[in-house]
Formats: sequence, C-alpha cells, structure tokens
Amino acid sequence: MGRIPYWNISYGILIDAFAIPFVALFVYGMYRWWKLIRQGRARIRPDFPGKLGPIYLRALFTKGILGTKIYKKPYTGIAHGCLFWGMVLLFIGTALVFLNVLFGVPVFNGIFNRWFMSFTLDLAGLAALGGLLFLLIRRGFFSPERLTVPKERNGFISIVILLGLILVTGFLAEAARIAYNGTDPGAFVGNWLAQNTPLAHLAAGSITPDVIAGTWFPPLFGDTQGWLVFHQYMWWMHGLLALAFIAYIPYSPLVHVVLAPVNAALADPLPGPKMGVMDFSSFEDEEAEDTPPLGAAKLTDFTYKRLIDYTTCLWCGRCHEVCPAAQTGKTLSPKGVMVTLAEYLQQGKLEDESLVDAVSSDAVFSCTTCAACMEACPVCINQPKTIMKLRQHLIMERSEIPELMGKAHSSLELRQHPFFGTGAGQKDWRKDLEVPIFEAGKTEYLLWIGCSVTYEERAQKIAREMVNILDHAGVSYGILEEARCTGDPAKQMGNEFLFNELAEQNIEEFSELGVKKIITLCPHCYNSFVRHYSKLGGVYEVTPHSVFIKVLMESGKLNLTKSTKTICYHDPCYLGRRNNILDEPREVVSSIGELVEMPRNRRESFCCGGGGGNYWAEEEGTRINQVRTREALDTNADVIATACPFCLLMITDGSKKFTEEQKAFDIAELVSMQLKDD
Amino acid sequence: MHIAVLAKVVPDYEVPAGDFELSDNRAHSRYTRMMGLYDENAIETGVQLKEKYSASLTIISYGAEDDIPVLRKAIAMGAEKLVLVTGQSDDASVIAANLKMAIDNLGDVDLILAGQQSADMDRGVVHGTLAEMLGLTFIPQVSKIESENGGWKISQLTETGSRDLQFNGKGVFSITSIPENVPRIPAVRAIFAAKKKPVEKVAEVESNAMGIEEVSVEIPTMDSVCEFLPVEDVGETVKTLLTKLREERYL
Ligand code: SF4
Ligand code: SF4
Repeated sequence: MGRIPYWNISYGILIDAFAIPFVALFVYGMYRWWKLIRQGRARIRPDFPGKLGPIYLRALFTKGILGTKIYKKPYTGIAHGCLFWGMVLLFIGTALVFLNVLFGVPVFNGIFNRWFMSFTLDLAGLAALGGLLFLLIRRGFFSPERLTVPKERNGFISIVILLGLILVTGFLAEAARIAYNGTDPGAFVGNWLAQNTPLAHLAAGSITPDVIAGTWFPPLFGDTQGWLVFHQYMWWMHGLLALAFIAYIPYSPLVHVVLAPVNAALADPLPGPKMGVMDFSSFEDEEAEDTPPLGAAKLTDFTYKRLIDYTTCLWCGRCHEVCPAAQTGKTLSPKGVMVTLAEYLQQGKLEDESLVDAVSSDAVFSCTTCAACMEACPVCINQPKTIMKLRQHLIMERSEIPELMGKAHSSLELRQHPFFGTGAGQKDWRKDLEVPIFEAGKTEYLLWIGCSVTYEERAQKIAREMVNILDHAGVSYGILEEARCTGDPAKQMGNEFLFNELAEQNIEEFSELGVKKIITLCPHCYNSFVRHYSKLGGVYEVTPHSVFIKVLMESGKLNLTKSTKTICYHDPCYLGRRNNILDEPREVVSSIGELVEMPRNRRESFCCGGGGGNYWAEEEGTRINQVRTREALDTNADVIATACPFCLLMITDGSKKFTEEQKAFDIAELVSMQLKDD
Repeated sequence: MHIAVLAKVVPDYEVPAGDFELSDNRAHSRYTRMMGLYDENAIETGVQLKEKYSASLTIISYGAEDDIPVLRKAIAMGAEKLVLVTGQSDDASVIAANLKMAIDNLGDVDLILAGQQSADMDRGVVHGTLAEMLGLTFIPQVSKIESENGGWKISQLTETGSRDLQFNGKGVFSITSIPENVPRIPAVRAIFAAKKKPVEKVAEVESNAMGIEEVSVEIPTMDSVCEFLPVEDVGETVKTLLTKLREERYL
C-alpha cells in the first residue's frame, strides 16, 4: 500500500492554507527589494547571441542555477552545493505532496515513492544537514579571515538554526511515521531513526513515562500513544518552519538564493568589467535640459544591475582574498565596497551623496582594475565597475585624484602621454633602427607602439625586438610617425572624457591612413582598441604581439632555437583575465624554453600592481609588484616572461628588492634572442 | 572683489633635453603648447580665493589667438572670463604695458596674481614691471594669501625660508608652487561650460621695448660622462656625489 499523505494529521490541508500568508510575505519582501532596485538607472544592452531580452541563458543555467563558480573553493563549494541542492529536492518533494493532496498525482506509489519520495529525499535531507554542519563548524572554529574583514555579516546563526530545525523535524516526523507504520523501503534515514532511537519503543507500545524520563526525549508523552502526538508536533513544526523559511528569505542574507541566479543571468559573460564608452553629446547640446551624471555619486546613479549586485553580495570575501590592493594593506577591499553600498541600499539612502566618502577616495583609487575580484565572485558581481563609476565621479565631477596620478593625468591631457618627466623623446626607441612608417594603401599592419614603450627606457626594448621579429618574418608593417597613446590610462583613471578625446583623434588618423589591422605591444592598448574604439566607430582587426608571434611561429616564418632556460610566465590582467588570452603566450614561451607556472596563474593570476593608473601611485603598505615578483622568483625559473610593458616595468622594479640580476623580459625580447640567422 | 590672473601659453616645458631643438631662437613650433607651470599655480590660487571670498576671477593673457583653446582650461578651472591681448612680443616691457592696458580696461581689479616666472623665458620680470607701471605694490614668491581685516595676510616662500607679511590695498603678487596650489583638473562640466564663457580679444597697443637686443641663443648640449664613485661607505659616497654635483653647478 502506498503512503498516505498527511497521515495522523487532522486538517493537514491547513498547512497549504498557511502557505498563502507566508508566500505573500515572501512576495512582499521581494517586491520591496525590487522597489529599491528600480530606483537605479535602466540600461540598454546590445543584442548578444544566446540572449533572451536582458537574460544570458547560458550564464543563467551554469553560473546562476548550477552555481559553478562556487566550486572554485571545493570544500565550501561542495557544502553549499549539498545544502542548496538538498533543499531544492526537498522543496520539490513537498510540492509533489501538495500536488498529490490537491490533484491526486500518484507520487506515493511504486518505484517513484521508493526511490524518489523516500530514498532521494532522505539523501537530500542528509546532504543538506551535512552541508549545514560543515558550514557551522567552519564558521565556528576555522573561520577564514575573508568572512570577517572588513565586516562580518549577521544572521548566519539564525539561518543555520532555522534550516537545522526544518531538517531535523522533517526526519523525526518521518521516523515517527515509520516507527508506527513499519519500515518504508528507501527511507533509509527514517528507518534507521525509527529502529535505533526511543521511537522504536514508542512503536512497540512498550514505552512508559519512566522509559521516556530515562532518554533524551522530551517528557512529552505520558502514555503509549505519545508517539502520535510527537509525530504531529514534528510534522507541524516542520511545515510551519519551512514556510517561515520561505517568508524569511527576502528579509535575510538568504535573499541571495533568489537573486544570485538573477544576477548571473544579467551579467554580460564577456570577461572584465566592460566599462563601455560615455556619450558626451548632451553636454554640447545647448538645448539639452538634463545631462547624465558622470560616474556615480549616489546609489540612484548606478544601474539596476549594480543595485542587484549589492543586494546579492554574500559578504563571503572571496574577492577580498584575491584583491592585490586588499592583500597588500591598501584601504580598498572590494568586499568592503560592496558591503558599504549594500548597507546604504538597505537603509534606503538612495540619494545620499556621502557614499563616495563612505567608501573613501583612497580605496577608490587603489583599484588596479585587475578584475581578480570578479573572477573569484561566486555570484557574478562586477566590483570593478562599481569602483570605476565612483572613480569617474571623483575625477570628472569633483576633480579629485591622487597627486602622482594627477600629474600623469595632466601630462596625458597636455602631451597626449602620461609619462611626465620622461627623459625619452618620441623617436628615441628607434634610434639607429630602420623602422618603416605606415603608408596608406601599402602597409598591411600598423605596429602600434603606445606610450609606455615610447617613453620608458626599459620598455623601449620591446618595440626594438618586435621590429626585429617582424623584419625576420617579412611582415608588411609600419608605425605612426608620431608616437601616440590610446587614452587607456585616462580611462583607467576615470576620465572618460579625456579618453574619448584621445581615442577620437586616433580614430581620425587611422581613417586617414586607412588602417585596418593593428599589432599591439601593450594589452591595455589591445583592450582599448577591441572593447572601446569599436564603440566609437573605430573597428580594426587587432592582434596582441604575443598572439601575432605565435601565428608567425605556426606559419613557419620564425626560425627559432629552443633554449634550456626555465621561463616563468606572468599573465598580464588585461590579456589573460580580461581578454582570455592565456594559451598563446604560453605556447610561445614553451617553444623557446621550458614553461614554469606560478601558483597563481592564468585567470587566477595576481596583478603586477600597475593597472588602474596605479603605475603612478605612491603605494601604502606592501608593494604589489614585490609580492608578485617574489612569487615568480620562488619558482626558481631562470627568467620571468610577460607580455605587457607595464607588467615588465613593475616586475623589473619589483625584482630590484630581491636580486641585482635582470630577471624580467617581454616575450618579444625572449623570442628575438632565440631567432636563428637564416 | 575682482581678481585677475595673468597666464601665458608656452611650448611644452618638459621636452627631454635630448629631444629639444630651436627654430628662430625659440623652442620649435612642433612642441605642444600649454599653460605655464607657475601660471597654473597662480590660477589655482585665484580660484581658491574666488571660492573663499566670493570674488570674481578674470584670466588675462598676452599671446596668439591660437592659444585660446589652451586658455579655456584656465576658465574651466574656475574663472569667469578671459581677456586675450593679441601680440607676439617677447619683450617684458611690451608685454607688461599690454597687460596694464587690459587691467585698466577692466577697471575694478583688486588683486593681480601671476606665476613666479614663465616656463619658456624663465625671467620673472613681467609682473614686477607691470606693478611699476600700475603704481602698485609688488610682492614676489607668494605661497599663501588670506584676507584679514580688510587687508591681506601673505606668506612668502623662498629657497632660504618663509616670511609672513601684511599688506593693505591693491597689489601684484607672483605665486610660487606649493602642494596646496597644485592646479586642479577641471571637472568635465566646467570644461563644457568654459566653451560658452566670454573671451574678449583686444588688439595690442604700441609701447616701448626695453633697450636690449638678443644676440644669440644657446641651449645646453647633452653630454654623457660617466664616473664611478667608490661605495665602501654609502653615506660617504652620497656626500661625495653631492659635493661633485655642487662643484659642477648641477645643484
Ligand atoms: S579589480 Fe583588482 S584591485 Fe580592483 S577591487 Fe578588484 S581585485 Fe581589487
Ligand atoms: S562581491 Fe562576491 S566575492 Fe565579494 S563578498 Fe560579495 S559575493 Fe563574495
């Protein structure tokens, strides 16, 4: 005979009726969030394959529903997975019971009853309980620092107690039912409890008040029918607590259960913060009544997506743990930023312009825009975009910028390059070298030199060696007569206006010259061309030099010898994490020596400290470049290779603390050294 | 209160020595033009005074019309208008006479600020000459200005130390560079607003040049000489290095 739903429960249907106010509370709570979130700014998104309106379907399924990013930390990931999926299965089981009661859906018969309603649901409950216990023990005894700095979230214990009670009462109600009705095949937890606890005595009718007094059972049952009352107690407690849990979701940190999939579904899967470009036309327009805010001074200046970010944040601190600024004693903690904004949102301070000061401008300018935080975040939050929006406000509306960065900014504004006080002239890098100038209609590739390679002596070698490689391979290339900057440093410092000005000048020159294909030496230039110039009308085929070298190697145009050197490759953030170019530089390195990896590599690579305009920063605390260089030197590799002039300069500087040897080289320098004479 | 700041547009003053060249005895025209280094400090000081004492602020420049886009930056920093006397003279007396004409035209100027010295000629004489012509007091190398009891409390900062002064009436101050007057980056809205603010162009007036004739102009040549100093004791080596740099007049 199948199981009888609501067995031993009079008016069991009431639990379904009670569900209505609890669900209404849930809906109301979510509506309150929605009301807050919709005070942000809507945004228009370009179409993207695999999108349904604003929803990225693949991301919804993988990062949102499956929660794939949470498993990057395997233990906590599995614990969360057990808890979440256990609860999901139990919820499905409960919904099936409901369908059985209302519509007679036959869920309590045959194989389905045994293997799903009994076995699977017991397993789900056990997994959820196990996950919960793991999280409780870890929080209680081995709490990682990331959970507590700069702030710990309240509410964990009440959630654990609530979930624990739901699971335990569920099992006890099941065990009491089994103890009376006999073994339920498949319900292995309920069967075990029924046979190995005082419930067995209850069922056998052998229990007396004396027996009960000698056990851990509450002295609830004065007669042999006590088990019936016990079952009823457990059943109602279980049901009501489960409903309370649902109602509690929007009013507690549990809100992430609903919002994490939403956030993942709305997050553009292109890597990096995706800053886009700003349109300043309304500022020129004399008729325009309203001009948009430049950056963000208050919560309502952010988009819906950002406000969902702050609501979804788990305060888990995974971002804090990987942030180069936070890990080297700077004021910035990406978790701290999210927490501050979440608190403002929760307190309804949507128009409060003290927000930037609450985050602090020191913190805002310490961000290297490396995007390690985004990579680590299990719920697809875009922390750097928030930080950059605050930075845009500081510089474009309030004219605030740290002094050294301000000097670089002024130089960029005045001289179109940020290297103030440079001792290098425009043409110094190509002294005694024959370098062709790009000729309209004749030259195929524009070799884009960029500002750091032009004006920083150590980086000049990159261009010289790349010229050697291109000559060796017989590539049709040319450079611009005048050295230029893409404007990326302005963008990173938060001045989108200056970036647009510089980019538009370059686009105009490229159009005059008919430039179609570009080789870049700097990942920041590459990122600007592919991500931002295209939005300003400059669409080119752009190849970073590391990829171009790999293509030349594959087509047999480079005759290389392999050395016995061990080479440790440092991933530049703007090439690796931000543009997914991870394999090509490694293939190049492997063809000229033996590739060695640092513990933090590929998408988990640690920044050199030079991004976000912080090449021009007076760092507080430990220097980021020294931390990264130490990590590279600890591999005992003969040389450190990279594919970014800023990384090269930062690591070269960082290594001075540890060795007098020149350890850091650009990939082009290393390849050029291994070129065989034909 | 009406404050006028004198600003000069000059060729890039940070061109690396190895890349610097002359044409017609002046910096080559290929170099980017920008506001003088100390002039920006003077503008920043003017803007701060304007904000503090609700003054009005005018920028006055002597130079070419092509310099207007550069001078708009000064307006974006916080000035209300720009007066440009169009002219090409390098003569301190001619420039001062033309600036005087612009100041006289404004009529109600209480305070005239100028950068300590221009970034191209490096003379530091125009403001003194102007003060003489206007019959006003000239105070050089001013780092701080505060209004006090209807007059001015002024700090003067020189290489050898600082002095606090008190002064009543109208005056011409040359402004030196201190951390507090690092020029601000104009806010983007201010840049757009500056495009709409008035620019008054005034033709230069004839005046007598100083009795000086420029015979020739030379710029330092780059010379690389390498000398190794022993480093048994770093402190001693640094002392030796300092002495040598002083002897060679690099410091
Ligand atoms: S982008 Fe990098 S530096 Fe900025 S907050 Fe994230 S991890 Fe920290
Ligand atoms: S932003 Fe993401 S990684 Fe950082 S604390 Fe919030 S949920 Fe965790």
